[in-house]
Amino acid sequence: MASTYEAAVADGPVIEAKGLGVKFAVNRRRKRSLREMFIHGNKRDPNAEGNEFWPLRDVSFEIAKGDCVGIVGKNGTGKSTLLKMIAGVLIPDEGKVSVHGKVAPLLELRAGFNDNLTGRENVYLVGSLHGMTEKQIDERFEEIVDFAEVKPKFIDTPVRHYSSGMKVRLGFALISQLEHPIMLVDEVLAVGDKAFKRKCYEAIDRMLANERTMVLVSHNEKDLRRFCNRGLYIKNGSLDLDTDIDSALAAYNEDTKVEIEERKKKDAAKKKRAEAAAKKVEAEAGTIEAGATAADTAKTDRPEPDADKADPGEGGDGKDGGQVA
Amino acid sequence: MASRTLAVWEHRKVVGLLVRRDLKVKYQQSVLGYAWTMLEPLALTLVYFFVFGIVLQADRGMPEGAPGGYILFLVAGILPWTTFGAILSEAPRAMITHAKLITTMKVPREIFPMATVGTKFVEYVLTWPVLLIFVFARGGSFTWEGMLFWLPLAVVLTFMFGLGVTLFLASVNVLLRDVERLTRILTRLLFYGSAILFPASMVLAADRVPGWAKTLYELNPLMGIFQMHRTVWFSGFEELTPSTFALTSSVVGSILMLIIGYWTFRRLEMSVLKEL
Repeated sequence: MASTYEAAVADGPVIEAKGLGVKFAVNRRRKRSLREMFIHGNKRDPNAEGNEFWPLRDVSFEIAKGDCVGIVGKNGTGKSTLLKMIAGVLIPDEGKVSVHGKVAPLLELRAGFNDNLTGRENVYLVGSLHGMTEKQIDERFEEIVDFAEVKPKFIDTPVRHYSSGMKVRLGFALISQLEHPIMLVDEVLAVGDKAFKRKCYEAIDRMLANERTMVLVSHNEKDLRRFCNRGLYIKNGSLDLDTDIDSALAAYNEDTKVEIEERKKKDAAKKKRAEAAAKKVEAEAGTIEAGATAADTAKTDRPEPDADKADPGEGGDGKDGGQVA
Repeated sequence: MASRTLAVWEHRKVVGLLVRRDLKVKYQQSVLGYAWTMLEPLALTLVYFFVFGIVLQADRGMPEGAPGGYILFLVAGILPWTTFGAILSEAPRAMITHAKLITTMKVPREIFPMATVGTKFVEYVLTWPVLLIFVFARGGSFTWEGMLFWLPLAVVLTFMFGLGVTLFLASVNVLLRDVERLTRILTRLLFYGSAILFPASMVLAADRVPGWAKTLYELNPLMGIFQMHRTVWFSGFEELTPSTFALTSSVVGSILMLIIGYWTFRRLEMSVLKEL
């Protein structure tokens, strides 16, 4: 069990993970989890059944006070899961994570906002849920609203009438006012327009200057390089590298490149097969066939010269559909 | 276990906040607001009074000279039952509706079922004016025994049982959504199994009911609990006071339910967090 309720310890690492692992059952997970409860509890032999999947396993690291750690890796390698375990909202099946100090989680900014309550009521509610006193919120309320760029006349309107940008801005404004020593950030820097983004950066810079510890999950290299002094590269569910952020990103980019190469080869082979098949078909059906194949291949065929942006699986949504034909 | 209890205690303010929010959201959008808490059981009482009291004459189970009569008996049972029924109907969703909060905030997860039950407790207290109106209008009697023994016992047991059920249903329902529907049927069953509309003595004294059914009937902890809610106003009438057997099964049953609920909740916590 995570002992995240422990009191703060003065020295030593702020976040300490030892052999972290979490598993999901792939099939019949509901049945299994009920059975688990009645038969073995949670300490059964992990290899007993083939139906489970470990998105993350055997991850150990320590994070010292004042560090800003960036976590990089492909989609689905367990970055967010790791963050959730640090936040204490997911309990690891293996290992232990100890966090010394309060955590400000920027995992999902609209979390806790109730659509039926007004912006003001939500700020007070979520603020106090995160451990702010009413007085603290009173003092900062104006600053929060100002930061979020919510017009005063809207602050007493139910949140369901807000635009999604407004909700997220208000959420960020609120959470960034928390004075907790540890911050966990999951991709949320992608919110808002340019001007708001800049303000977010400034806010985070200010917090980091304040000796706070931050763990950041992002696909944005600029963000990572800007804030982090350390990088964890997660690959296939385990911690591959624990170095400075540049090396971690370099390793990630390297792996991405290799993967793209492989994919290209595979696609080329597929295209060849498809073309061969198309040739067999009679001329009148040929045009339709070729169109369909083209759309099929185009999905993954987008050339990606710099692996800088994100992982390849996500991009290339067939915007160049007719290109191959 | 002890540290966990402490953690819950430290978050008692959060429970209060959640309760206040729930009440606010609930009453904000209706014109009559919190009056509904009273109107609903009131309407139910009138319907049942007509159907069971006048048409089916369930009031023949009432002892002679009971102050307040059958209608007070009905109100005193239906008001807590409305609350308990509401707990049962919201219990399966107690965790699911807070999924967003649970997956982003580190708090002891027990507080969400607690908040659900807490909200219902406040609503229960809000129904008391209705009850008191009937007590005064029908000349119900206040007795020390009722006020100082039966009332606290009944309230404590109701919400203890309610919390146990909520902890149990809230966690199991995340993994097995069938529970929600099953609960609806069970609620119906329990309504009649807990003798809300007629004195329990009618069942226990009936020759047509087989012995094992009577035992089962008295084993139902809710039967005893709701009998207590009425003994508050009818203390001294033996037909309306729970038997030692019923009393024991309600006390033991409530404690057991709380333990089972909490145990299940803790046992399933890891899986629940993954599923939310």
